[in-house]
Amino acid sequence: MYLGVDVGGTHTDAVLLDEKGVISSYKAVTDRGNLLSSMSAAIEEVTKNVKRSEIGNINLSTTLSTNAIVENKLEEVGIIVSSGPGIHPKNYSIGSHFNIIPGSIDHRGKIIAGLDEKLLRDAVSGSVQKKLRVFAAVTKFSTRNPGQENEIGDSLSGIADFITLGHRMSPRLSFPRRIATSYYNSAVWRIYRDFADSIEKSLKGLGIGARINILKADGGTMPIALSRTIPVESILSGPAASILGIISLCDISEDSIILDIGGTTTDIAIFASGSPLIERDGIAFAGLPTHVRALKNSSIGIGGDSLITAADGKITVGPERRGPAMAVGGDRPALVDAMNITGSSAYGNVERSRAGIEKIAEAAGLTAEGAAAAAEEYAVGRIREEAGQMLRRINEKPVYTIHEMIEGIEIKPARIFVMGGPAEAFRDRLAAAFGIPVTVPENYGVANAIGAALAKTTFDIELFADTSSGVLIVPNLGIKKQAPGDYTVEKAEEDARNYLAGHVRSLGGEDSGVEVVESTSFRMVQGFSSAGRDIRVKCQIKPGVVMKMHGGVK
Amino acid sequence: MIKAGNRMGLVFFPAFDWAIEPTHPEREERLLYTQDQLREEGIFDVEGIIEFKPDMASEEDIMRTHFCFPDVKSVTTESHLISAGGAIRAARAVLDGEVVRAFALVRPPGHHSMKCVHGNRGFCNINNEAIMIEYIREHYPRKKIAIVDTDCHHGDGTQDIYWHDPDILFISIHQDGRTLYPGSGHVTELGGPNARGKTINIPLPPETSDDGFLYAIDKMVLPILEHFGPEFVVNSAGQDNHYSDPITNMNFSARGYAILNDRIKPDVAVLEGGYSIQGALPYVNLGIVLAMAGMDYSYVMEPDFDADAIRQEKDVTEYIKRLADTVLQNYFNPPPDGQAPDPGEFMMRKKRIYYDTDGIQESQLEAVMVCERCAGVYAVQSVSSVNELSYGIEIPVGACDTCYDEGLKIYNAARSENKFATIQLINRRDRSYVRM
Ligand SMILES: [Zn+2]
Ligand SMILES: [Zn+2]
Repeated sequence: MYLGVDVGGTHTDAVLLDEKGVISSYKAVTDRGNLLSSMSAAIEEVTKNVKRSEIGNINLSTTLSTNAIVENKLEEVGIIVSSGPGIHPKNYSIGSHFNIIPGSIDHRGKIIAGLDEKLLRDAVSGSVQKKLRVFAAVTKFSTRNPGQENEIGDSLSGIADFITLGHRMSPRLSFPRRIATSYYNSAVWRIYRDFADSIEKSLKGLGIGARINILKADGGTMPIALSRTIPVESILSGPAASILGIISLCDISEDSIILDIGGTTTDIAIFASGSPLIERDGIAFAGLPTHVRALKNSSIGIGGDSLITAADGKITVGPERRGPAMAVGGDRPALVDAMNITGSSAYGNVERSRAGIEKIAEAAGLTAEGAAAAAEEYAVGRIREEAGQMLRRINEKPVYTIHEMIEGIEIKPARIFVMGGPAEAFRDRLAAAFGIPVTVPENYGVANAIGAALAKTTFDIELFADTSSGVLIVPNLGIKKQAPGDYTVEKAEEDARNYLAGHVRSLGGEDSGVEVVESTSFRMVQGFSSAGRDIRVKCQIKPGVVMKMHGGVK
Repeated sequence: MIKAGNRMGLVFFPAFDWAIEPTHPEREERLLYTQDQLREEGIFDVEGIIEFKPDMASEEDIMRTHFCFPDVKSVTTESHLISAGGAIRAARAVLDGEVVRAFALVRPPGHHSMKCVHGNRGFCNINNEAIMIEYIREHYPRKKIAIVDTDCHHGDGTQDIYWHDPDILFISIHQDGRTLYPGSGHVTELGGPNARGKTINIPLPPETSDDGFLYAIDKMVLPILEHFGPEFVVNSAGQDNHYSDPITNMNFSARGYAILNDRIKPDVAVLEGGYSIQGALPYVNLGIVLAMAGMDYSYVMEPDFDADAIRQEKDVTEYIKRLADTVLQNYFNPPPDGQAPDPGEFMMRKKRIYYDTDGIQESQLEAVMVCERCAGVYAVQSVSSVNELSYGIEIPVGACDTCYDEGLKIYNAARSENKFATIQLINRRDRSYVRM
């Protein structure tokens, strides 16, 4: 049996299922002050009629780390950075203990200047005085040569409860993202560790011995043991859970648009040939871009509770939300009130809805029916517009080869999948606005928990080899070895696949679905003759579900 | 998050799958380390720096600018169309108000491509800057445009294209042609009879360092630009003046390039040469991007930078100071061309052009109407080792009635003769570009 729990900002959803389908599900309002109790209650409730020892796998999506950042419940982090020339590192100062130590590594991973040992010692002893216990060590180009980050790490041994080394967070370039990611990782480490401890204890208490995994924003999971070293990867996994839910409920094979219309927002995702698109870089939080990978997702302020207003004879919806809809006791009309008038829903007190919409209609010089229809039309129009912009951004994304420039594949959605309260009601309008068929899956109410339950372990690495200097490195796996002079891109691809599969197996995950995403081999030239090759292979296990739920589509 | 001082556009097209030959300086690897550096610096995340995908230049964009013999397709590949399209995209981003400045970090380069094109010379097939400028003049109300070419090699292609055009000021700063390809760019090359002083050459001696370059900018380029009053400024941003460049002999630094860009303040910069791909380009390009985005570049420096090792000799400094007088005189008070006939007459010029990359020999006989009201109708007969005698006729932007009529007359006469393998007409007044 698979258990999935999604502790969201508003609701906590849980679902227990097996190959035959959903066994039980659960939904409750999240106790934001005590996520652990919300989660424990959900697990206890959804598993009360089964043999808990037979649950094989539990996947949890939690807003714990996200909340810690949003609510600024962050532990003070001692950050030690070092960078060669470029943009001055002081521009990336974050937290209250940001130390810059002279040292320099170039883009080939060559050490240009060693770390200033005295200043490093001073930074360490200053941190001891300030009683700092968690740290982040980040150097420019550490994914080409992690030596100086490791050196900083060594200088903190015995002092730190936890150290984030930048190169272990992501194989990708971007010193500022590496700093922000490492900082947040250390800043949420302790609160996350306590949470993980409690979850493990509470599951044990319930007699559940299943593998425990944590959901990530890229739609994959990480085993709980690994998550203790990269807790930052647990942020913003909510939208991913819903998207995975759609994948498990529907057979998606073509380019598609996925809409999740909720109370206050509509989340939009794009699928290319049936697979969700992943952000090229990583998500930003608190305005700071990070290396945390995420499914491409855009959110607009259109939902069932979005406020309807009339100005200059024009009806608009959202992005504001002013309490609940009038149908359920609010005092300003919301989108669901309009839907009560058009007959596309019958929610709460329809007469109260009518009263609210009539007032708006009057202001706009329309009938109540006209205003309600205009509100629905507007909401769908906004969704259409935002999805269009998102597609344009994706299709106009810069490319770096002539081949991609000429043969570039354009994403042209052929179907829309819609989840959320207003999904069924908006089916026809969406089909008309987008001019493509609309599918509304059944069971979408707990699609997010189903998605969480069925998510598989993901991971991505980059192998970098320079046959002229004889270096082979896979930064976020901590691999550094000799690259043979006759190393080829084919061999590198094979090695990258094996490193990744081996790593995921060692974490207790499934190593199926390893794919090479990008692989390049450049001839390097010194003077006018060849001097080895620069080989780069990006490899990933892409997000997906361990199995499909059947009969979920209507 | 770090912010740009002004919105800046970056058209980055490294053409990772294109090379002239596997070990040629113009090969796949050229911008790889620049991309690494820009990514590691987080340039693409800076608020206010926007990355644009290049346009594809159309056949019309090229025929508006060049006489391609026998036709556009024979002398260009997709890579050239994308590179020129990258420059066009950068200009559009600025002129449409999306950004304040833009940098087309694209390859292959273009500034050795002349008006007539039979193949590749100096790693260039078509002239990215000229195609961009002619696109601008066709689609936007911009008349006077200046190009400052800071590639180490003389921008002989761009000079050839604008030799007769009084509305386009072309200034080239380069290593003295007596010591480097293509050998031209002498200080006495000043432009044709209709555009005297609108071509300005500043040949600098080998081993000129930051001091010399910035002196040339401050004392020669800036006063001339200020007087000319361009509505749009282009920098041909070649990076082969760098002290580590393998095919030149200058001593310019990455920070020097950033300062130079900051002083010229071009609307658009377009990458040209620069072949120290590991030691210079990552830092020079970073410096230029930061300068164009109005950001602090004072911390940009090559790992092996040593100010003492590249300090310029005193006689170099003295030479450049003396050069300033001549250069300013050439612009503000250009000596008349003694050979030029009276207005209404044609001035003839014979040229031999060698295409080093493709090994092509070309001979030209060009004729331009001396005209006081426009750039003058232009006609060039061209024959090369790969093309039989061909003819190009141009009725220039803003042509006067006389030049317009004369251009059509020449074209019609040429068509009735059986003398030319190809005839091309660039008719800027009617926006008509034809080949037969
Ligand atoms: Zn050059
Ligand atoms: Zn004229």
